[in-house]
Amino acid sequence: MTSSQLDKMRLELRRGVLVLAVLASLKQPHYGYSLRKQLQDRGIDIDEGTLYPLVRRLAEQGLLDSEWQQAEGRERRYYLLSEQGKELLAQLTDEWLQLNSALAPLLTENKELSQNPEQNQSGETE
Amino acid sequence: MELVKRYVAAVQRELPEAKRQEIGRELNANIMDQLDALEEQQGQLSDDDVAAVLKQMGRPRTVAYQFVPPKALVAAEDMPLLKHTLYMVLGVLFVLQVIGATTHWISSSDGNLIRFSIQLAAGFMDDAFFAFAVIVLSFAAVNSSGDRVARCAGKDWSPKDLPQADLGWQHISLSDIFTDLATCIFLLIVIWYPLWMNPLEFAALSVTFTDNALLMLQWFSPVIVLSVLLSLWQLQQRIWSRRLLLSNSVVNAAFAVFLVTLAFSGPLLQAGPAELSSLFTVLQLEKSFTYGLLITACFPGYEVVRDLLRLKRLN
Repeated sequence: MTSSQLDKMRLELRRGVLVLAVLASLKQPHYGYSLRKQLQDRGIDIDEGTLYPLVRRLAEQGLLDSEWQQAEGRERRYYLLSEQGKELLAQLTDEWLQLNSALAPLLTENKELSQNPEQNQSGETE
Repeated sequence: MELVKRYVAAVQRELPEAKRQEIGRELNANIMDQLDALEEQQGQLSDDDVAAVLKQMGRPRTVAYQFVPPKALVAAEDMPLLKHTLYMVLGVLFVLQVIGATTHWISSSDGNLIRFSIQLAAGFMDDAFFAFAVIVLSFAAVNSSGDRVARCAGKDWSPKDLPQADLGWQHISLSDIFTDLATCIFLLIVIWYPLWMNPLEFAALSVTFTDNALLMLQWFSPVIVLSVLLSLWQLQQRIWSRRLLLSNSVVNAAFAVFLVTLAFSGPLLQAGPAELSSLFTVLQLEKSFTYGLLITACFPGYEVVRDLLRLKRLN
């Protein structure tokens, strides 16, 4: 597989998950940079070119409430999960957990298979 | 922070008017936060440091498109319909141009082939550019209204309505539908030429239909319009049903009978206002036209037989 194929598939895989991560992070109010920092601290690296437009899109869909505030001598737009966003997050979380519990054994099996190919082959011939 | 101001202004220029202020304000706040964080790590920032941060964010146009992604002029799902519509209209225009250029070429005394080719190409390009623009803009107008042209054909469906796997002919191909549509539109344009042709163009005609032939053709126009409606129905259904096959047989039978009747109702052509060159006589053209009609009648005749056999298979 070429690196461009890998990049494309990674992007597709991450696209839906990022929405979930952003919604989950915005249970507490955050402005753009602090949200990015929080996601980075949790191991989700997301570039600003993806994150800021995504947050705006979610706000336009009514999933986030936003408010401009003055802090540290600078204005910042703070985002917080709206009521509609909370409902959607709960539904998406259930969906994700269900998907993950189904996917995890599948991926574990696959990993074991690729780590011990000889053992598995001899097992099959027996 | 002059560089940041310039960068935000450049992004704003690429955004729609209504969103410039809001997105620019927010982008500026986000960049300033990022620069503050960097300053905490590295101390006082130079212009080069700020430029590096902005460069990393991407070109202003790219950033603007990330906030407001550009919309395609025509939706991807409408592309097959757009392609076929263009083929159909450009095909009709080309044939009309061939007829016009040929008529002019026949009536001109020198029969210069190069002049004929140039006239044909120039006339076709002129019409084709206009038609292309009108069609694409019409599709774009539907797309911008949030609708889809292809969705007009989206009636409620059930897998039970799909034809059997071994009856592949039951699927109506888009190219068949658009070929029929193109033929009908072409016929209507030719039949009603006295209505749209300007007097100068009419004066250049060396051969025209006789009054009797023209009257017969005009009386047949409702059947051609019916055929257009039938094609639109096919476009919506996309599967041959009993009703569609029966309607198609009736319309094609009418076409076949009419073409044969017309072929035997001569004279069909007469000398036009312009003088005919010595290359052909009206009589020769009349003979070719009559044979042409009889050969053309074979096509709807074949379709009648084909559709009746298909109807039998559907029973």
